[in-house]
Amino acid sequence: MIPVAFPELAPALPEILLAVGAMALLMFGVFSGDRSSRTVSWLSVLLLILAGIVVAAGGGAERVTFFGAFVSDAFSSFAKMLILLGSVVAVLLGADQNERDGQARFEYPILILLATLGMLMMVSANDLIALYLGLELQSLALYVLAAFRRETVRSTEAGLKYFVLGALSSCMLLYGASLIYGFAGTTSFDVLATTLQQGEPAIGVIFGIVFLAAGLAFKVSAVPFHMWTPDVYEGAPTPVTAFFAVAPKVAAVALFVRVMIEPLGGLVDEWRQIIVFIAIASMVLGAFAAINQTNIKRLMAYSSIGHVGYALVGLAAGTASGVRGVLIYMAIYIFMTAGTFAIILCMRQKDRAVEGIADLAGLSRQRPLLALALAIFMFSMAGIPPLAGFFSKLYVFMAAIEAAREVPILYVLAIVGVLASVVGAYYYLRIVKIMYFDEPTEGFDRTVSGEVHAIIGVSALVTMFFFLYPAPLLTAAATAAAALVKG
Amino acid sequence: MFAVAIFLPLLAAVVAGFFGRWIGDRGAQIVTCGGLLISMLISWWMLYAIGFQQQAQTVELFTWMASGSFEVSWALRFDTLTAVMVFVVTTVSAMVHVYSVGYMSHDHSIPRFMAYLSIFTFFMLMLVTADNFVQMFFGWEGVGVASYLLIGFWYDRPSANAAAMKAFIVNRVGDFGFALGIMAIFFLFGTVSFDAVFQAAPQMAGKTFQFLGMEVDALTTACLLLFVGAMGKSAQLGLHTWLPDAMEGPTPVSALIHAATMVTAGVFMLVRLSPVFEYAPAALAVVTVVGASTAIFAATVGMTQFDIKRVIAYSTCSQLGYMFFAIGVSAYQAAIFHLMTHAFFKALLFLGAGSVIHAMSDEQDMRRMGGIWRLIPTTYAMMWIGSLALAGLPFFAGFYSKDIILEAAYGAHSGVGQYAFWLGIVAALLTAFYSWRLIFLTFHGKPRANEHVMAHVHESPPVMIGPLVVLALGAVFSGWLAYEAFVGHDHKAFWGAAIFVAERHDPLEAAHHVPGWVKLLPIFVAVAGILVAWIAYILRPGLPEATAEALRPIHRFFFNKWYFDELYDRLFVRPAFYLGRGLWKTGDGALIDGVGPDGVAAATRSLSVQASRLQSGYVYHYAFAMLIGVVVLVSWYLYARI
Amino acid sequence: MIVQTLAFYLFAGLAVASAFMVIAARNPVHSVLFLILAFVNAAGLFVLLGAEFLAMMLVVVYVGAVAVLFLFVVMMLDINFAELRQGVLQYLPVGGLIGLVLLVELLLVVGTWVAAPGIVASDPTPAPGDLSNTEALGRLLFTKYVYFFQASGMILLVAMVGAIVLTLRSREGVRRQSIARQNARTRADTLEIRKVQSGTGG
Repeated sequence: MIPVAFPELAPALPEILLAVGAMALLMFGVFSGDRSSRTVSWLSVLLLILAGIVVAAGGGAERVTFFGAFVSDAFSSFAKMLILLGSVVAVLLGADQNERDGQARFEYPILILLATLGMLMMVSANDLIALYLGLELQSLALYVLAAFRRETVRSTEAGLKYFVLGALSSCMLLYGASLIYGFAGTTSFDVLATTLQQGEPAIGVIFGIVFLAAGLAFKVSAVPFHMWTPDVYEGAPTPVTAFFAVAPKVAAVALFVRVMIEPLGGLVDEWRQIIVFIAIASMVLGAFAAINQTNIKRLMAYSSIGHVGYALVGLAAGTASGVRGVLIYMAIYIFMTAGTFAIILCMRQKDRAVEGIADLAGLSRQRPLLALALAIFMFSMAGIPPLAGFFSKLYVFMAAIEAAREVPILYVLAIVGVLASVVGAYYYLRIVKIMYFDEPTEGFDRTVSGEVHAIIGVSALVTMFFFLYPAPLLTAAATAAAALVKG
Repeated sequence: MFAVAIFLPLLAAVVAGFFGRWIGDRGAQIVTCGGLLISMLISWWMLYAIGFQQQAQTVELFTWMASGSFEVSWALRFDTLTAVMVFVVTTVSAMVHVYSVGYMSHDHSIPRFMAYLSIFTFFMLMLVTADNFVQMFFGWEGVGVASYLLIGFWYDRPSANAAAMKAFIVNRVGDFGFALGIMAIFFLFGTVSFDAVFQAAPQMAGKTFQFLGMEVDALTTACLLLFVGAMGKSAQLGLHTWLPDAMEGPTPVSALIHAATMVTAGVFMLVRLSPVFEYAPAALAVVTVVGASTAIFAATVGMTQFDIKRVIAYSTCSQLGYMFFAIGVSAYQAAIFHLMTHAFFKALLFLGAGSVIHAMSDEQDMRRMGGIWRLIPTTYAMMWIGSLALAGLPFFAGFYSKDIILEAAYGAHSGVGQYAFWLGIVAALLTAFYSWRLIFLTFHGKPRANEHVMAHVHESPPVMIGPLVVLALGAVFSGWLAYEAFVGHDHKAFWGAAIFVAERHDPLEAAHHVPGWVKLLPIFVAVAGILVAWIAYILRPGLPEATAEALRPIHRFFFNKWYFDELYDRLFVRPAFYLGRGLWKTGDGALIDGVGPDGVAAATRSLSVQASRLQSGYVYHYAFAMLIGVVVLVSWYLYARI
Repeated sequence: MIVQTLAFYLFAGLAVASAFMVIAARNPVHSVLFLILAFVNAAGLFVLLGAEFLAMMLVVVYVGAVAVLFLFVVMMLDINFAELRQGVLQYLPVGGLIGLVLLVELLLVVGTWVAAPGIVASDPTPAPGDLSNTEALGRLLFTKYVYFFQASGMILLVAMVGAIVLTLRSREGVRRQSIARQNARTRADTLEIRKVQSGTGG
């Protein structure tokens, strides 16, 4: 029997905190029933914030624990902060919405906590098995959340579709992982990184990467693995959709980046082709398919597909500045998206949620501030300076252009990206046009709670005035990227 | 102190233009008139200080733009030439401001009008005080804009809008030439500052450079390009068509812009650039020919017109021709002298015409006037003074200036000089004729207006008569007073360094030594012209009709302004319209829009529909799409490997 | 050795064949039965590898619990599988083609397999030696793989919570047995003794 040292727990403190806290809150909820849902929500927010503080206190030093399966570094810390932020928003939005719909259930925040735990594990994964377990933990919680409104057909349909397709994607991911294991002989990222740098990679490894990338692309909803996104976004309850669009996306993109850069970093020329392909397909489809939509949640689904395409442009560059671009992109993206979904939550007429884009008509005259905020988000998503969305695009495209000197295909990527963003601007601006120039229909109810308004306000301010003081985000992203791309 | 005179109109325009709503009509009038009157007083003192006390100076304000070797600063250049121009501009402008108080009293937007007038004056002052080409161009374009705004002041009249656009577009042609000229100057001299260019000009004489693939004389080319600019602004033959149409603007505007100041900017520019033009004799010959041709052309057309303002407009065009051929024979002083006297008597004539129009209930056609001289005696007297000065009868202002020009042309002893002299004499005859034709048709004979109008004929209020009197004083005395200083024995001391005449000739000296008949001929033809007009319109009123019938082709040719408008319509306007329409319908509409925005938009839309159709809602479709994606990627790599 | 090889091909062949029959069988009950057969064959493969603990777990958990649960569900739900299968022929050509392409490609890849080039040992865990299979697994699970073990635990927790969230509902009007209340009842609460006069009833 080999004596085994007890693994160091400090690097995984945020995860442990979340796991223990989630179970404690689950017990609390079970024993006090649905009346306690508001308390559980607030305690969950508190827990998430606490976890965030622990992450921040952990700093950016690289620490590996659990026998190499778990890593905590600047990159994971950056991603974790974004994920926790997104989760806080989702809990707050959900608490508000569920209460008004008479659906207040304490499991909602618990499931978000557990999903968040899965995401944190994902971004800290340093082993293919850890990767898969984190992913499954997160996905399973999300399947349940998508079907959370079990009494509505659309919600259950969304949950089921997501589950079936998610299972398929997990199969692909696992198949890819086993191919890689079979051809490289290890699941550890560190060992993989050194092994795969030697010589020409076996074709089996390449196939493994393809399958692995396919599984991950499903999670970030990149074309052609995006098909679930519009249906699930539309069918799931709005706060859940907001959650889907924010936290899991960040986590999956971060995981994607880590897997590609760290263990597979030696094969960048191989996997870049996949990324270029799915990035172009995502940007183009995201831009074109959104034009025809009438449901704002569906529109946001296509918008998020497009945004993932842009973020992947940075990954395709494969450089430190590219990774930095991806991180900046995702950071700004969660602010814009959280704010937009908070506004979608405000779309209620006669105590019923409405989701048609046409329902926004004349919003500027009834709710000028709300319309202004949505206009800011739309302009920002369209990438119009000086709003934050412009800078997010700027950094990924800049990284791509820098790297394009050695890899000319990236020029194509950048050009397609710019063209797609022109097309994309059409549907973003159409919303602005509808709000400001169309004749008003029925006004929205004014029953939304202060938290939602606070989320809208903060997001709008960040989006609007990011350009005044971008330094903290830029340096944090640069540090995080440097932690991943060594040398 | 001098700078105050320049910027007061700007201040007044800003106050009247932006705060007119608060200070009201009366307030706007007081601000602008007050500003201009103060400017006028300063300018009088300025003329005295600079012209007679030699206090020429340059006031540097600040650097405007600096780009490599290209450096331009805002600076006000005050020399005698500037002082004379500032004197003319502010005096006439002040009078027109005051006159406008009465003339525009029934208008709805008085502050706007007063602000336009003041801003025009400011730009004009910027033009004449410019210390470099770019600043001059700034003023040049500024007066163009102000002119556009004022011609189209009554924007609810389609004809006024059309005239404003025409003025602007025709001026663009000239301005393009001017801009090219400035670029040529910068290309040649490496600077746009007047002083530097003037100093370097002698070394440039005779140099050549490549232009449109031809080896051309550098200075001549640059000067001709600049002259094109002057032609546009000063309505010389070829680019004159906008001036008669510009009479759609309110009459004070015609007096200020299209008689006294802006149209003389071309003359001023050439005189200002005398140190350059003196080294380009070929360009000067062109100036002479164009000027003389304009003088005779405009006079012949003026004879046949019936719109009182158009007659005076063609007269202006003709007199500008005089100034240009004076420049062409290097008699710059004479040109400026005529510019000044002309400003007085032409502004007087215009304002007098305005007074008549005011009296006749906005009637402008002389065929519906007549027999009103007893009803508006003061205006009548003013028109006489103006016409006498215009025709050049002795001891009126025009006499001195026109005579010296004709004498200088004769004294040049060159082919183009003779051409200019004889055409000038004929034009003088015609000038006298159409001036008295105007007076006789307007004031004498039987009333041809209806009784309703005749009952309303009344003398203008004092606020309109006052400026007329001031201008009349100028029209009577300015020639006599300024003769010695401008073109007489004191001219060298007076002008100082402002005007440069090459050593090789002295046109003014030559002008003083021409034969006696040359000096007398203009007076003779002027009297003859008046007599002919008297015979034709008082003694034998049927004569003009009969003559017109007898000389039908010529009359029609003159009456239709030598068919310039028709020619341009055929040559430029219609082809441009066809081209524009063609480019619009087929080029832009069908090709660019069809393939470009509309085509792309349609394609985008259909692509979007296709993309949405992919989303069938069936799980197995989605799963299948994922599988296809994987297979495609896997095949791609396998293909790349094999 | 030869016996083991023969056994391997037997189990493997049966596993693949029964897996195919799972999706090919017309009767859903037959499908589930084939699934059980596949599991059993997989367990056999585990035994061949010397992983008897895993083999037993497979039989106990999958065959004994999961598959039987499937069977119950399939039997209780009256699903018309024939209807669900109607689209199959329509999609068969394209689907078959894609599947074939993928299969060929994967076979090509498998053909290139070489035993982990550059890797010293693909089995970092020393042989269990005198330990029993179960004990060795346990020691590994709770030391080196404690992170994965705990993570799996969390996943199962989520699955449990999810199942409850999606299915548990409190119905009105359902009668439930409450043992505490039954025990707490006294004779006085429930029984009322009445004297009935004889002859007056009706």
